[in-house]
Amino acid sequence: MAAITLLNPKAEVVRKTEALSMNQSAAKGLQDVMKTNLGPRGTMKMLVSGAGDIKITKDGNVLLKEMQIQHPTASLIARTSTAMDDITGDGTTSTVLLIAELLKKADNYIIEGVHPRLITEGFTVACKHAMEVLDSMKKTVSLDDKETLIAVARTALNTKVESKVAEVLTQICVEAVQAIKLPDKPLDLHMIEIMTMQSRLESETRLVRGLVLDHGSRHPNMPKKLTNAYILTCNVSLEFEKTEINSGFFYKSAQEREKLVASEREFIELRVAKIIALKKSVCDGTDKGFVVINQKGIDPVSLDMLAREGIMALRRAKRRNMERLTLACGGVAMNSLDDLTEDCLGRAGLVYEHVLGETKYTFVSDCPNPHSVTVLVHGPTSYAITQIQDALRDGLRAVKNAVEDGGVLPGGGAVELKLRHELKKVAEKTKEKYRVGIEAFCDALLVIPKTLAMNSGFNTQEVITQLDYDAKENDSIGLDLQTGKSMIPTDLGILDNYSVKKQYIASSVIVASNLLLVDEVMRAGMSSLKG
Amino acid sequence: MALHVPKAPGFSQMLKEGARHFSGLEEAVFRNIAACKEFVNTIKTAYGPYGMNKIIINHIDKLFVTNDAATIVKELEIEHPAAKVLVLASNMQEEEVGDGTNFVLILAGTLLEEALPLLKMGMTPADIIEGYELALKKALEVLKTLTCEEIKDPRDEAAVLKAVRSSVMSKQFGYEDFLGNLITKACISILPEETTFNVDNVRIQKISGSSILSSETVLGMVFKRGVEGEITKMSGAKVVVYTCPFDIATTETKGTVLIKTAAELHSFSSGEESQLESQITAIKNAGVNVVVAGGKISDIALHFLNKAGLMAVRLQSKFDIRRLCKVTGAVPLPILTPPSKEELGYADSVYIDEIGDNSIVVFKLDGKESRISTIIVRGATENYMDDIERAIDDGVNTFKLITRDGHMVPGGGAVEAELAKQVRDYSETIPGLERYAAAKFAHSLTIFPKILAESSGLQARTALQQLYEGHRTPEGVNLGINIQGEDDKLIIDCHEAGILDCLSLKEWGLKFATMAACTVLRIDQIIMAKRAGGPSAKPPAQPDDD
Repeated sequence: MAAITLLNPKAEVVRKTEALSMNQSAAKGLQDVMKTNLGPRGTMKMLVSGAGDIKITKDGNVLLKEMQIQHPTASLIARTSTAMDDITGDGTTSTVLLIAELLKKADNYIIEGVHPRLITEGFTVACKHAMEVLDSMKKTVSLDDKETLIAVARTALNTKVESKVAEVLTQICVEAVQAIKLPDKPLDLHMIEIMTMQSRLESETRLVRGLVLDHGSRHPNMPKKLTNAYILTCNVSLEFEKTEINSGFFYKSAQEREKLVASEREFIELRVAKIIALKKSVCDGTDKGFVVINQKGIDPVSLDMLAREGIMALRRAKRRNMERLTLACGGVAMNSLDDLTEDCLGRAGLVYEHVLGETKYTFVSDCPNPHSVTVLVHGPTSYAITQIQDALRDGLRAVKNAVEDGGVLPGGGAVELKLRHELKKVAEKTKEKYRVGIEAFCDALLVIPKTLAMNSGFNTQEVITQLDYDAKENDSIGLDLQTGKSMIPTDLGILDNYSVKKQYIASSVIVASNLLLVDEVMRAGMSSLKG
Repeated sequence: MALHVPKAPGFSQMLKEGARHFSGLEEAVFRNIAACKEFVNTIKTAYGPYGMNKIIINHIDKLFVTNDAATIVKELEIEHPAAKVLVLASNMQEEEVGDGTNFVLILAGTLLEEALPLLKMGMTPADIIEGYELALKKALEVLKTLTCEEIKDPRDEAAVLKAVRSSVMSKQFGYEDFLGNLITKACISILPEETTFNVDNVRIQKISGSSILSSETVLGMVFKRGVEGEITKMSGAKVVVYTCPFDIATTETKGTVLIKTAAELHSFSSGEESQLESQITAIKNAGVNVVVAGGKISDIALHFLNKAGLMAVRLQSKFDIRRLCKVTGAVPLPILTPPSKEELGYADSVYIDEIGDNSIVVFKLDGKESRISTIIVRGATENYMDDIERAIDDGVNTFKLITRDGHMVPGGGAVEAELAKQVRDYSETIPGLERYAAAKFAHSLTIFPKILAESSGLQARTALQQLYEGHRTPEGVNLGINIQGEDDKLIIDCHEAGILDCLSLKEWGLKFATMAACTVLRIDQIIMAKRAGGPSAKPPAQPDDD
């Protein structure tokens, strides 16, 4: 009996090999679930939430987040993987698979009596070498190299959605990232707005060079469509606001009240008049339109005044959209209407309102040089839309990573195969005891090509043996999922992110090492808990 | 200090308690297919003109009697995740096209059912999906060539009527000519010259009593309420619309009347009155004779309105006000000012009418053109009128489709039979395993003539046999099931008989159904969280003993 049970009779404890096997079985269980997700030919999972909502996905990250895992080891692995996704945007499934495989291969040696410490040492050495190999394999890429960026995005997206949709999204992701890149500034993916519309088919998702707002003008007589428009973005209240202190009017007759009503309004009317004056000065005599987008409210009377002048006005725009608006159309967001000049205004080629069922959307599009763009996601059902949203996020991250890393790696299992052979060479030269760890690591790496082959319905043994043999001869060989033969991924445009690969190997090694070194699992038994 | 009873190792032990996890063909795919099959079997009998009605009692005990699939699935609150995918697809059809929901459900369900033997034989879902998608592509291509008529001018009443008729027929068999006429009239009169047709502009007003045959179409708007003032009829009405309450203007800030003497009190109220009176006189002088307000009309204002001989109507819904503005061409005014000439709207007559014991306000435009038309539906019970309303909705949506794309295909199962034939021929040219799936796709399409024949009590086998035989000849393309047929005339040329469907309806239907079926097939694992808390559903009411 473990000592702890003397101290706290309610505590639960698992020890020694039992602890290890518990960790292993958890990792294996998780691997079993996630395995079928990997790669473009992986299958979908359906998640049903407590409220009965449906989610259909093969994105490992989404899956792990929604699964409500309670097993301590499994949730540790899941958390590492989702953290990985937060940093790099991809590679969750691979991480889970590699962790489980590392534990499995280590187990073979542990059964023979090798101390876990030796194996983890080997892992660490292997990991260090792996990083060097990765660096040597890196193929440089720049923002202007559209072809490579498209290849990276396509590879990432193909693993998330079906290939027809992936093709559409690929173009969108690359163009969006290229549009928002400002010289000398880090990429900010928040400047790509994702707007969803539940209608038509997924393949009609498109990129709008400008902004789409999910509300419309609030007056029936405002113009619904303006071309060649000026955009005034402002944060000025155009409705009456009560004073902070408690105030009131005293009046004696109806005439006096009438005057008070008028003067109460006058203050706001002056502001509206300023906007109208500006509109007149820039638009009169031309065919240009004028749009006011206000973060604060506009009351019905002001709306009416603006409508009479043919100005389209939107009220209560979202704060984040104000920042994007100025980036998309140019101009300055105004906090006061005192010094309005033409320079404060942004420009858009086409502004129009689109009504879908009950919801109104306003498109501010055809901006001359937008630094903020919108991806308009179409999808027939809510689960299709979420699927695309998740995929888009990953696609954008993939492009961003490629640009920021300044390099990409071949995909289709090529990295793993290459690493395996390089590390084998390292193992051969090692005479220390930790050599077994490096060997285990080499074997574990095969899990990625193996799973890819399995998901594509090939004879795993046959394909992998052939592939492993080919990889010894050539430098970067990957698995062709259509034929089951080996191919050169760079030629086919199958490229992975450098940072994703680096991160997934590093974190898998850390987690696997940690789990291997656990020899006791304890749970403080609290009296309030059941059991 | 008992340790937990160890659970079976594997994935399920890692999940939160109550979560369920199904994976693989046996557990996930087959179960999904079985559920969808059951669901579709329920709904299948409601297809077509002779489809049966269903009574549905929803969670708030409201009763529905209908054979409209959209309503059935909406009120049934499907919970099974796979069946829900089908429902979502049919909802999409409802939104995109407005009709043909049952078509989507039945086709998707049948596609899944047909996939079952293939899966059991060992084909992978991926192969089946690929086959279905190939077949869909072919079907869409073929569909375009099956156009038998094109309505070029959506103002052509006779042509439109034919299309609308078939749509209504499947919901309200027997009244299709009568309702078709009402719908056609209502739709054509409001078809705008330039912009697109908006379904929302055909209003339906249900007033119980009398029979369906007393339903009528009114150009203009009908509101189910009375007027405020004394004047109940006005012809050649000049309408002014206010979105604010019709009352004395007040400040936003709290106002207090400061009165020191009795004289001041007296002059205050009389001043208030005279001010309102002058305002109303000003409005009257602007040529107005009907006032519509979005808010309350105060008693004192009403007094002066009556005095000035102005008709006063109060509308509560913001949207009703907008629509009325559209009809009359008035500009809604946010404050109480006399309108200018441009802001005035016009209606040929505004009057109170009494139908049954309901009074209604009618804003009527004479002549043939209007922006909004209203169909007044009469009927004995609420349920019945609801069902008619759904039939009318489908008819109006059909009209919308015609304005977008006037291509029509033969109905009555003819187009499905022909598609089935051509897709089957095509499937034989596909080299890979997909051919089996494509052939199943073709076979799935034949379910429609089959249901039609069965539900109308024909000798289904003979009818189908004759149908397929007919389709083998090139002139038999338009042959469909004759639901009213006797023993000797089981099939009919649907083009000649005027049974037509919109091309785009079938097009979207095929797309959505295939999409839903493929989505369900693609799933190989289901992870269900424990049902969230909340009030548990009421146990079903005990049936009566007798």
